[in-house]
Amino acid sequence: MKLVPEKVGAWLLGTGPDSEFVISTRVRFARNLAEVPFSPRMKPADGELVVETVRWALADSGYLNQGQLFTDGMLSEPDGFYFVERHLASPDFITQKNRKGLYVSDDETISLMVNEEDHIRFQALASGFDFATAFSKASALDEKLEGQLSYAFSPELGFLTACPTNVGTAMRASVLLHLPALVLTREIEKVLRGAYAIGLLVRGIYGEGSETRGNLFQVSNRKTLGQSEAEIIEVLTSTCRQIIDYEHKARQFLMHNLRVEVEDKVFRSLGLLRGARIISSEEATNLLATVRLGVALGIINELKIAEVSQLLVLVRPANLQAILGEKMDAAERDERRATFIRQKLVR
Amino acid sequence: MKMCDICGKNEATLKVRQMDKEGRATELNVCAECARQRGLSGVEEIKSDSGAVLAELRSKIEKQDKEIVCVRCGMSFAEFKRAGRLGCAECYRAFHQQLQPILRRLHGAVQHVGRTVQQGRKRAQERLEVQRLRVELEKAIKAEDYERAAALRDRLKKAGDETGT
Repeated sequence: MKLVPEKVGAWLLGTGPDSEFVISTRVRFARNLAEVPFSPRMKPADGELVVETVRWALADSGYLNQGQLFTDGMLSEPDGFYFVERHLASPDFITQKNRKGLYVSDDETISLMVNEEDHIRFQALASGFDFATAFSKASALDEKLEGQLSYAFSPELGFLTACPTNVGTAMRASVLLHLPALVLTREIEKVLRGAYAIGLLVRGIYGEGSETRGNLFQVSNRKTLGQSEAEIIEVLTSTCRQIIDYEHKARQFLMHNLRVEVEDKVFRSLGLLRGARIISSEEATNLLATVRLGVALGIINELKIAEVSQLLVLVRPANLQAILGEKMDAAERDERRATFIRQKLVR
Repeated sequence: MKMCDICGKNEATLKVRQMDKEGRATELNVCAECARQRGLSGVEEIKSDSGAVLAELRSKIEKQDKEIVCVRCGMSFAEFKRAGRLGCAECYRAFHQQLQPILRRLHGAVQHVGRTVQQGRKRAQERLEVQRLRVELEKAIKAEDYERAAALRDRLKKAGDETGT
């Protein structure tokens, strides 16, 4: 089994619709096997059974040929955070102790966690604002797996999940938005409150409990029961479309009224990234996000959105270590990170 | 006037501890009628502002929650309320009545709409059995228990495993 740290997922190529505002779109399904106890009651043999069953299902449906199934050793702390930083696994998955497996497709647009909170959680990621691609990819895998596995399902409650928060469609659809102008114009609170009021959830870049760094916000559905998959996606699409429009207007406002201030902020960020000799992951994330805004606004022409988006992932601790091929302590990492970013931003 | 969180029709006179969507315990306002339907006797006489009586009611509910148990995995409703996670698919049936108000609060609905499981159910169950046997067989071979391995191989054949491994 091999990682390719320098290569980022196809979903990060920044080619999708509305890439100036949206990093990625994601659709995730949770599924459980009817005959096997859920995570709180799972015995080691049950965990193994689920991992092996899913391995066969992925092999028989042709997915295993187009990706890799990682198992326990590589998925534990701290190495497993490599996948978390790439949005292919959740932090909870890495820290939990049951037998586990992680399938990742070669282009990193599809991933599947075995034995997270539910037996199976799989997702499809698409670049930019693109539910059509993410939903059809995730659904295709769902259909293939359904033919192979006996899902826990009831006509009344839909797909049964370990936590009642996810029961029903067991689908979580989300959009990772970059909203710097709404933050700068202090409109963000209003927008996010509005999203919450219509049943959506807004979180930081790495999901549940994570802080909002780099003005990146993940908007997803909160409810899974009583609304069909299509309805959930429709609400998310129209709401995110509105948020994008607000952000667009806020960016125009900034460019018309505070152009020099914005340019100053953008070029200072770029200057820091190009000049720094020691830089933390958090500082790098924030500066890169500002540079990303600069590229989106046409203030910086020498960089591409995709390059900056990719750097946002590559400068994270576990990915940086994977690229440099050695374990480092935090201080050493901050130094190597600065060097790495300088090399990447040189023109 | 606070309305009952379960039926939404009557005035709530009681506070009951329940789970919220994050799996934390939270207080739920319940009317006497709904409390009685949950099998609590004599609750009508209780004044909702009396701490001692509330505590008593709480312990009564706790005791009752411990008695609602999923026959398949052995999880009690009290245990679910603490952990916020169910033990198996059957728990949804075992705690059906108790889960209704929780689902209504989380989702505003208690009926699934959307994708259903259509095909491959029976075949999938057979496959799971085959898979179980395959894992057992691998273990038997590793442990050099060839007698058991041979028996498992026969069962696998019977279960329709074409690979015969």
